[in-house]
Amino acid sequence: MSTSRLYVYGIVHADRVLPPGTSGVGRPAALARLLPVGELAAVVSDVPEGLRARRRDLMAHQALLTEVGAEAPVLPMRFGMVAQRASVVEDAVGSAATAHLAALDRLDGRTEMNLKAMTAQSHVEALVRDDADVRRLMATARRQPSYEGNVRLGQAVAEALDRRASESVDEVLPELRALAEGFVRGPDVPGCVLNVSFLVPKAGVGRFRAAVEHLADAYSERLELRLAGPLPCYSFVPQEGTGSGPAGRPVGGRTAEHAPAGS
Amino acid sequence: MTTTTYNEAVACVPRAGTLYDVLELILDRGMVIDIFVRVSLVGIEIIKIDARIVIASVDTYLRFAEICNRLDLNQDQSSRTVPDLFAGLPSSVAAGGAKKAARSVGGKVKDAIGMGDDEEDDDEDEREDEREDEREQAEEPRRRRTSATSASGARSGSRTRARRTREA
Repeated sequence: MSTSRLYVYGIVHADRVLPPGTSGVGRPAALARLLPVGELAAVVSDVPEGLRARRRDLMAHQALLTEVGAEAPVLPMRFGMVAQRASVVEDAVGSAATAHLAALDRLDGRTEMNLKAMTAQSHVEALVRDDADVRRLMATARRQPSYEGNVRLGQAVAEALDRRASESVDEVLPELRALAEGFVRGPDVPGCVLNVSFLVPKAGVGRFRAAVEHLADAYSERLELRLAGPLPCYSFVPQEGTGSGPAGRPVGGRTAEHAPAGS
Repeated sequence: MTTTTYNEAVACVPRAGTLYDVLELILDRGMVIDIFVRVSLVGIEIIKIDARIVIASVDTYLRFAEICNRLDLNQDQSSRTVPDLFAGLPSSVAAGGAKKAARSVGGKVKDAIGMGDDEEDDDEDEREDEREDEREQAEEPRRRRTSATSASGARSGSRTRARRTREA
């Protein structure tokens, strides 16, 4: 029974061929294969015994999708999707075939770039020059050195840095959105003032990265930018709701966080 | 594959990249098919918390305060208290000045949210499965070497060095 369960990585066109030895989750890594469903195919592997979200399994999921998505589009599944048996995959993929084909079309030649912005912590000097409040607390802490005074001073610095970073984010976004075909806000990540994903034509990745580097330079006193990608298009596949069948959902339909590309 | 290069301004994460830069995408984005079941994500919450815990702690506040106080002294060279105060500081900090110290704070934060917690995660796995850990170490020697400064620094020499500096 358990041997027939399948780990599902993603959905591709039926005419794809996986490179021999494409490996997936588990240790030893399970071999990935294609499960054809009409014009589509699911990329699947056996489910290793005791599988859970370990680092190497997350990385294996990610690496497989990156490799498969390098030459042709793939609809990446969220990590950890397991079907009880092959017929469940066939039914699920087959019943939404039209939507999946359209989504593959939309992602063809495109990739996801994820940008996170954190508060720059290394330019306290500039802040001290500009912020009268911090200077006042600093003078107090110097006159009467105390643990509490230092905590208050440090907190004021941290808050002011966060405020400046958040303001800068609004200035950074429009330029990047102009270079992308899609734009989705990611889940909140503690410590980040911004977490967004862009759908970028593969040919435009270099230009996009250059733009991020330019902005990172320009805003280095306020923001620390981290760009990840090219990534599987996790944020640009139809995000299924609970309950409703995938077939009834418009392909472009995304969560409320989605905003159209461009400014 | 897991090499991540940081420079002052932007960190570019190539290909699969550092897990934490994309963790929430792998876990919370991507397609879901309702009829599929999901493997247990036990342990992931711990990883997530470890990843960004550095920000906004009292510890961070105190480091900022320290930087500020040193900045102040740096700008006011004539202050008679300078030698007294510097006498109590590690020599490297005193020599490098406030700007350098400020940068090193940024570096520590990067370590803690990037490389550092990678190692934390390994520790998780080690505790659970020592046998597999040996193989993992053999496979990923480069990452281990580069993550010398980590939240769990006991294994690396960084904590020992820090102690020595303080005593000096």
